[in-house]
Amino acid sequence: MLALTVLYDPECGLCRRAHDWLAEQAKLIELHFVPCASDEARKRYPVLDHDLTKQDLTVIGDDGAVYFGPKAWLMVLWALVRYRDWAYRLATPELLPTTKRVVSVISQNRYQISRAAGLNG
Amino acid sequence: MTILISTYLIYLALSIALTIWVARTLHKNGRVFLVDVFHGNDALADSVNHLLVVGFYLINFGYVSLALKLGYAVTSAEQSIEALSVKIGMVLLVLGGMHFFNLFIFSRMRRRTLTRNHPPVSPDAFTATAIHQEA
Repeated sequence: MLALTVLYDPECGLCRRAHDWLAEQAKLIELHFVPCASDEARKRYPVLDHDLTKQDLTVIGDDGAVYFGPKAWLMVLWALVRYRDWAYRLATPELLPTTKRVVSVISQNRYQISRAAGLNG
Repeated sequence: MTILISTYLIYLALSIALTIWVARTLHKNGRVFLVDVFHGNDALADSVNHLLVVGFYLINFGYVSLALKLGYAVTSAEQSIEALSVKIGMVLLVLGGMHFFNLFIFSRMRRRTLTRNHPPVSPDAFTATAIHQEA
């Protein structure tokens, strides 16, 4: 796999901040950022359920593999030079349930978190 | 030249020759591993290879030098050969240990890059991409 397409939520301040942070990180594979359910996203992935991508972060590999929610977060970490080891660590059977729970909580409350942290400006 | 001095000189000559031989073998055959580990980056592989060999020389020559002193009188050729066999045997064991340690480092580096190329999680689904559709 040489590139990942990240379908992110452009409405959420936390996601925009995460996007800025990711842009600065050294990467092992390319990351393309496309707003979820946008025309660009529909053009790239004509048969994907785009309403579902609005609910949680979605990452799609250049081979068409779709990673949704916590798995998408792990794939993004895996793309980064400094965090590839962490992606493997968090994906081990012992840690994966906790990873999924934490990521889901953050993801489901992303608008509240953005508001509380003042990231909506 | 006393028999003790000849013993020392033979010990040094043999130890140095053995160390150079093992280091060269390591240098020549380790390169392939390193080029693979660094994804064909020859310059980086050569640099790491060279640094490993320098470390190898330092540790071995350090040991050879420290272990030189016999600490007892050598008066006959028989005693000289016995003393040499103990000293050279120890040098060979240290060289062997260092050599396997280097091999262990090479193989661990290689395994690390091999496993790290797989995604940490399996995909939830597959979708057609626009590029695939055009093809």
